[in-house]
Amino acid sequence: MIKKIVQRIWAVVGAVSVRSKILGIVLGFIILLGAGVIIQSRYALAATMTAQLEEQSVSVSRDVAARATDPILLNDLLGLHDLLDETLANNPNVRYAFIVDPQGQVIAQTFEGGFPLDLLTLNSVNPNEHHHSALIQTDEGLVWDTAVPILDGKIGTARIGLSDASMRAALSTLTAQLLLTIILVSATGVLVAVFLTWILTRPILALVTATKSVAKGDFTPRVPRWADDEIGDLAEAFNAMTEELARTDELRHEREVLRRQLLEKVITTQEDERRRIARELHDSTSQNLTSLIVGLRIMETNCAQCASISKATDLRDVASKTLDEVHDLSMRLRPRVLDDLGLAAALERLVSEWQARYKIPVDVAIQLNERLPGDVETAIYRIVQETLTNIARHAQAKSASILVERRDDVVRVIVEDDGVGFDISSNHGERHLGLLGMRERAELLNGTLVVESSPEHGTSIYIEMPLMERMNVLLNQEQQ
Amino acid sequence: MKKIFLLLLIAIILAACSAFPQTEIAGNVDLNDLQPLPTPAGYEVVPLRVAVAAVISPKGTVESYSPFLTYLQEKLNRPVELIQRRTYLEVNDLIEHGEVDIAFVCTSAYIQGHDSFGMELLVAPQVGGKTTYNSYLIVPTSSNAQSMSDLKGKVFAFTDPISLSGRVYPNYLIQQLGFTPEEFFARTFYTYSHDEAIRAVASGVADGAAVDSLVFEYAVSRDPALAEKVKIIHRSPDFGIPPVVASPFTRPQIKDELQSVLLEMADDPTAKDALLSIGVERFVLIDDSAYESVRSLVGVIPTSEVQP
Repeated sequence: MIKKIVQRIWAVVGAVSVRSKILGIVLGFIILLGAGVIIQSRYALAATMTAQLEEQSVSVSRDVAARATDPILLNDLLGLHDLLDETLANNPNVRYAFIVDPQGQVIAQTFEGGFPLDLLTLNSVNPNEHHHSALIQTDEGLVWDTAVPILDGKIGTARIGLSDASMRAALSTLTAQLLLTIILVSATGVLVAVFLTWILTRPILALVTATKSVAKGDFTPRVPRWADDEIGDLAEAFNAMTEELARTDELRHEREVLRRQLLEKVITTQEDERRRIARELHDSTSQNLTSLIVGLRIMETNCAQCASISKATDLRDVASKTLDEVHDLSMRLRPRVLDDLGLAAALERLVSEWQARYKIPVDVAIQLNERLPGDVETAIYRIVQETLTNIARHAQAKSASILVERRDDVVRVIVEDDGVGFDISSNHGERHLGLLGMRERAELLNGTLVVESSPEHGTSIYIEMPLMERMNVLLNQEQQ
Repeated sequence: MKKIFLLLLIAIILAACSAFPQTEIAGNVDLNDLQPLPTPAGYEVVPLRVAVAAVISPKGTVESYSPFLTYLQEKLNRPVELIQRRTYLEVNDLIEHGEVDIAFVCTSAYIQGHDSFGMELLVAPQVGGKTTYNSYLIVPTSSNAQSMSDLKGKVFAFTDPISLSGRVYPNYLIQQLGFTPEEFFARTFYTYSHDEAIRAVASGVADGAAVDSLVFEYAVSRDPALAEKVKIIHRSPDFGIPPVVASPFTRPQIKDELQSVLLEMADDPTAKDALLSIGVERFVLIDDSAYESVRSLVGVIPTSEVQP
């Protein structure tokens, strides 16, 4: 039960801002203190004033009783009336005064035009008593009624009523003043709390801003140490952490650059090597084989009757076959057409050979008006080559399509098939590695590669390659 | 958050309003519900109304005459009511119109009442074996005055406008000196009773006063310290003692009954305290002739001056 209440309170208190919390604490304490002070001082003042009222009631009554003796004895009713009127006029607290004779008859009184008869029986005094006081509830508030015997009660009793109106007024004044004080103190408290909040939250807000910057990768912001306290310590720790993060990030960045350079180097070297081998195969091996074939043919013509002629024919067939294979190998290693005629021709050649081999129709649309930078052409060619290999190996596709187009400074390549597709989220060994290698190639040239696929819905690969940036990078590299 | 503050604020205001000391309330009354006071029920038995002239203060009179009135009440078997008035003339008025049955009056008041409307002598008190008294001229002990002539230009306290010992006699003395009181004294005032006049001199409010010798002796006997504060510088000749009188309207049977009760008091042991309290040894019969000397003195002072 208590836990629930605490939770509910915390749900309210915890949800508000630090400013509200501090304001709440300040105002709460001021109001609590004010309430205590008001209750205590009202109680003390009321007690004191009640005692004073009672005392005054007794002294005024005794005075009236003493001064009423002669007028009563001398039957001086006018004098008696004047005495009571004077008493009323000179004591603002006195609400009424009257004198009763021993038979209970009112012989003088200050009410005009009648008398509240109920009042007579509410207080009385024995002749041997000094006085007798009673608290009476009236329509005008409480009244201290004091009865004093006149001449030992032989000639009557004086009754005086003191109203508590002045006391209530004093209490109201006190309360009003205290409330005003509380309001003023509260206002001051609010100002102080706002100032305090400002002091406390300013470094915290600075920390929040800096943290957001860091989250976005900007490690430059530093938080000033406002004060030599816990928040100051936090600011310092934050600054240290940011510096460390910045250093780590720089290191990571350097490694990344190195890695990319290495990769670039590897790819370039690989391409160069392939190109060299291809050329070697084409220029040297193919020439040799051709010479061999030509020699064998001459040998066949010149020596038709030779017993070993059939052998020579077989050898020529083998040599021809080898020449084809060398051509094919050279082609796959590095099609010469890519270097000589460009991407469009190389891709068309690649696709036509692939179609011939795998009997899968491919729709090719290439819109390039001019040659692209060499590394971009190589990268796109290799990616499409890899993709086609994948389709042939895994897709079980009925058809495929290739789109290559240049828009402003971006080259977009889309390769689609209608094959079995695959679940991208699942890592699938070799193919996955193949995709990774493709993406690596694209990203090396600041491009992007996106694969879209789902089982039974085919596979699409989108590649975008920026040209401008690539040029700039090349320029930069040249400058360096 | 705001709700919590609001609750706190309400709590403060409630606390501020409820802080009132707890005292038992005797009852409820509407002070503005004014009703006519009931008229007093008349006495079942008509009381004997006794007036006492203001020789001494009203309070002193009540204290002194209470045992006496109680005695009368028991003796006559009917209630006795004490009636006092500020001045002698007011008492004389009551006697003249039968509003009181008997009265203790001052000598000059008797002469005035007797001569104007037939106030009747009932008995006279006997004090110190005499039925006479004097007027004492008193001054503070510290005063250097030796006689009335030394009080010229001073403050003088008169008792009652028609008091023989308190005003008529001192006026007579001043007249003998060839002055009127207005030109003789710097200031005069009335105390309306003899004990108050003594007090006025004792406290230095007045530089001098003339008082009834009976009251003076009685006061000094009750408060010996008074003798140290005032001194007598002149004694008048003997005057007829202030008598007990009856109204012309008092029925003869009652008059006779009262007269015999008063005369027999000295022989009644139960009346001892009553007599002692009013400083009287016994009541005796007295004749109007005892007041002739006073009458001649009053005659000297013009009536207009005697009136207040």
